[in-house]
Amino acid sequence: MDSLVIPAATKPKQKQNINREEFELFLIYEGRLLDDREFEKWMDLYTDDGVYWVPSTDGQPDPYNEASLFFDDKQLMKTRIERLRHPRIHIQTPPSRTNHVISNVIVEEADDDKGTYLISSSLLMGEYRLDVQRFFIGRQFHRITRDGNSFRISLKRVNLINCDTAFEAMAVPI
Amino acid sequence: MFDGTADEISKLIEPGRVHRRVYTDSDIFELEMDRIFGCAWIFAGHTSQIPNIGDYVTSDIGRQPIIFIRHKDGTPQVLLNRCAHRGPKVCNEPCGNLKSLTCLYHGWSYDTDGTLLDVSMPEGAAQHFKKSEFGLAKAPRMGEYRGFVFVSMARKGISFDEFLGPMKANIDDLVDRAPDGEISLDAGMHRYFFRGNWKLQVENVLDSYHVPYSHASTVNKKGEQFSRREGDKEGAQVVEEKTTKTADAWKGRRSFVVDFGHGWTSNTELNEKARSSPAYDAYKVALADKVGKSRMEEILTPEFHNSLLYPNCSIMGLNIHIRLIRPIAPDLTEVTVYPVKLNGAPDEMNSANIRLLNVTHSATSFVQTDDLESFRRTQAGLRSNQSDWIDFSRGMGEEEADPYYNATRESAMHEMAIRAQYQAWLHYMCEAA
Repeated sequence: MDSLVIPAATKPKQKQNINREEFELFLIYEGRLLDDREFEKWMDLYTDDGVYWVPSTDGQPDPYNEASLFFDDKQLMKTRIERLRHPRIHIQTPPSRTNHVISNVIVEEADDDKGTYLISSSLLMGEYRLDVQRFFIGRQFHRITRDGNSFRISLKRVNLINCDTAFEAMAVPI
Repeated sequence: MFDGTADEISKLIEPGRVHRRVYTDSDIFELEMDRIFGCAWIFAGHTSQIPNIGDYVTSDIGRQPIIFIRHKDGTPQVLLNRCAHRGPKVCNEPCGNLKSLTCLYHGWSYDTDGTLLDVSMPEGAAQHFKKSEFGLAKAPRMGEYRGFVFVSMARKGISFDEFLGPMKANIDDLVDRAPDGEISLDAGMHRYFFRGNWKLQVENVLDSYHVPYSHASTVNKKGEQFSRREGDKEGAQVVEEKTTKTADAWKGRRSFVVDFGHGWTSNTELNEKARSSPAYDAYKVALADKVGKSRMEEILTPEFHNSLLYPNCSIMGLNIHIRLIRPIAPDLTEVTVYPVKLNGAPDEMNSANIRLLNVTHSATSFVQTDDLESFRRTQAGLRSNQSDWIDFSRGMGEEEADPYYNATRESAMHEMAIRAQYQAWLHYMCEAA
């Protein structure tokens, strides 16, 4: 699946003929939906064949031959969210509070004719639950397609810097 | 002061209950590291992790760092990851390939079987210094069955064959599912930790009683769990439709125990006839090609759900994986989950197993996370000395002999398996006292 491949860094062009702000605002909106626990609205941002992927090794080539922290298609996303809404999800009793900080937004690839873009950004998500605060830090990649005034996500890949560590239980998407 | 005499230890276990100190006390934890993890046969790795000469993976036996490496002569070796000179860990990466192992500190280098090859500036060595006495230590005893390599850090004790005993059938049950008759543990791993004692995870492996309540959030309105295997149309019936009562199919599960704390639970009842998908159907064809149709059907009729090789290794039969439970402190445990690949199965089938394991037993999974919350809360609750005892008496007196497996069996809604684990715990802890 070519869309899973992430390009190396390129030198920024002097002037980009595209409006970075609209991408940045979209990424902030996406993170905000997770922080507000609007999980259904978050899922609706994805295309029908969209995937959410958090690899468990550095530079993991694909999610099919190795374990991943998250690799949800829409069906798994739906099951995950139904569980997050279940009154007896013990790992979210009480729920996590999160905040997504998104920065260093770069338009990696742009095809204005097709309206498809690959956007990368730095992500820092703080999570607090039951006196424990922790941080998830990494670079995230969004493959998105223009859809009216907004975008739909076909891939969100989050490369955590500590992707291969031992994690304490995680219940909410990053 | 706790001296760890057999008398003191045996007072911690009573019929159907265990003293809370067994989970919280650092003296007892230190004794467990010596007497259980320093004596019992502990999983060190699977040969598929080190296919080529010089391949290695690093891990731990209890708290001791080890290197599992393929020696020049082709044999797997388990070496202690500690330079014989001043003690640094020699291998610092989770895995890799090396011709020889060199310590970063003073450059001492070792062969792939631990033999000391070279010492930098040998002219300065003391007169009595003999290179032959300074290799990387080897695990004193090693045993292998179908690629599963176990070691004992004690020179004496039960043999590997005695230890594994009837549990060979549980390994066979997994490995026979591979058309090539071999599995691979080379599909990465899940790693998670919890703030609780290691035995909380061990006890949970054969505890079917917790499922209907603990895992309620994985069950839909029809009382079925989400589908966990490739080709399944629906998941297991855990609770009755429209009520919260445990379903009869779930209550019918049994647990079995044999010597040394090992045991297993019977299969999860699923609609095997309806199981079908392009990947699963292609896998059935691949398996039948190798073993014949009737043997294929036998292999794909599940017998075991979870199997425990006490003290800290489990084989999980539904979302196939090998799980290792590593004690770090009385109230801190790390768990590694290796997805199992069936050699000779279509890639799509192995991918499906890997993908489903992400949602059943990763740090982010739908199932395991609620268990981790149970372990965390248990450890926190055990700070209370309101009672000194933890109860696991369900079904006491209802155990019966199972002639087919030559095991002892009981309803899996009961707690016989935990009682058997504590018999083994007592045996290890008192034998070495």
